[in-house]
Amino acid sequence: MSDTDEFDALAGEYVLGTLDAAERAAVAARREREPALDQAIIAWERRLGPLDAVSPEIEPPDGLFARIEARIAGAAPNAQAGSGGGEAQARAQIIDLTRRLRRWRGAAAIVAALAACLALVIIWQDLVRPQQPSNFVAVLQKDAASPAFLIEVDLASRQLTVRPVAAERQAGKSYELWLIHDKLGAPRSLGVIADQGFTVRPALAGYDPSVVESATYAVTLEPAGGSPTGAPTSAPLWTGKLVQATP
Amino acid sequence: MQSSSALAPIFIPHHDRCGGWAELPRQTGRGMRASTEIVELMGRVAVKDRAAFAELYRATSGKLFGTALRILRRRDIAEEVLQEAYVKIWERAGDFDAAKASPVTWMAAIVRNRALDEVRRKPLASVEELPESFEPVGDNPDPLGQREQRETLRQLLACLDKLEPQKRQMVLLAYYHGASREALSTRYAAPVPTIKTWLHRALAQLRLCLAS
Repeated sequence: MSDTDEFDALAGEYVLGTLDAAERAAVAARREREPALDQAIIAWERRLGPLDAVSPEIEPPDGLFARIEARIAGAAPNAQAGSGGGEAQARAQIIDLTRRLRRWRGAAAIVAALAACLALVIIWQDLVRPQQPSNFVAVLQKDAASPAFLIEVDLASRQLTVRPVAAERQAGKSYELWLIHDKLGAPRSLGVIADQGFTVRPALAGYDPSVVESATYAVTLEPAGGSPTGAPTSAPLWTGKLVQATP
Repeated sequence: MQSSSALAPIFIPHHDRCGGWAELPRQTGRGMRASTEIVELMGRVAVKDRAAFAELYRATSGKLFGTALRILRRRDIAEEVLQEAYVKIWERAGDFDAAKASPVTWMAAIVRNRALDEVRRKPLASVEELPESFEPVGDNPDPLGQREQRETLRQLLACLDKLEPQKRQMVLLAYYHGASREALSTRYAAPVPTIKTWLHRALAQLRLCLAS
C-alpha cells in the first residue's frame, strides 16, 4: 500500500470512527497543521455524510437548549442577549420560518415522488432489546429518508410486531400491512395497524418461514377497518424487507 | 460468520420494489429544512444571531442527537456531547464554508468527533442499560430535501452494495454505532490487524466507486 493510500486510509478511519483514542488525538492535532490531511478528512465526511440522512431523529430533552443558551450567554454576551425585544423578534422569525418550511415541504413531497424508491432495511435488534432478540427487523419506507413503520418478526413464534414511526393518522382511514411474495400470488393482508403504539399479532403463523423471511412488506391506506375486499384498494405507500439479525 | 454481540445493528440497503403499484409517496410531518435554508441560518449564526441559532437548533437537534445517541448509547452522555457540540457550532459557525461541505455534514462531523472521542476514552457501559436508543421523533425526518443530496445518498448506497457483505456491515457498524476495531474483531472473530486491513480495503473501494 502506498503512502498516499495510508494517508487516505487514516483520514477515512478517522471519519469512520475506528481509530483508538491516541490515534484520534494524533490525527486531530495533525489536521491543524497539515491542510492536506484536513482536506482528506473533509472529503471523507462528504463521502460518508449521506448515511446520517437515513438514521432516525431522536428528540433531545426539552431543557437542553436552555442549557446551551446559558453557556453561550456566559461565554459570549452579544447585542441581542437580554434586550427586551429580542425574544419577541425571535418568535416572529420562527413563525415566519415555519411558514416557509411548510411551503418547502410541498416541494419536497414532489421531489420525493420523483426520486426512485429505496427500501432500506435496518436491524436495530440488539440495541433495542438485547435480552429478547427478535430475529428480523425492517423499516418500511417510501424512500431513504422517510421511515414510516418499524416491523419486528420473531420467526420462531411467527409473531409480528408493527409500530408507526412517522405515518400520519388519517381520519376515517386505516393503514393495512400486506405480505407480498411470488409464491403467494396476490398480496396477503397481515391486518390493520393500530394508529399508535405496538400492534402485536401472530399474523404470520400460517406462512412458510422462507416466505416470511424473503417477502416484501407493504403498507396501504384503506377504508377504516381495512380493505373490504381482502385485496389492497390503493397503491402501497411504504415498502421494505426483513433482514436476519443473528445467525 | 459472526457472533451476536453488543453491536448487532446492521443496516443493509435494498434497491428493489420500485415497480409494481404506482408510486404515490406521501410526505407528511416535520422534516429538516432544505440545505440552503440551513446555510442561510449558519450565516446568521456566524454573526451571533441568537434567533437564527434557536432555529438552527430546532431544525437539526433531532438528527444530531440521534447521531450522538447511536454512538454513545447513554442519554446522559449524549446530552452532554450535544450541548458541547452546539456551543462549538455557535463559536465556530464563522468557519463554516458552504463551498466545502453541507451544513448538516459539517455539524454532524462536530458531533461525531466529540462523541467518538468520548467513547474511545471511556468504553461504553453495558448495552442493557440502554433500551431507549431507538425512539424516533414521531415525524418524518427528511434532511435530504434536495434532489442532489438524494443522489449522493443513492450513489453511496450503490457503492456500499458493491462491498462484500461483511465489509459493508463493518463500515456501517463503525459509522452508525461507533464500533471500534476491537469490537469488530470480536464480532467477526478476526485479529485487529486483519480488521484494519479490511477497513482500509473497504474504504479504498468506496473511494474508487464514488469517484467513478
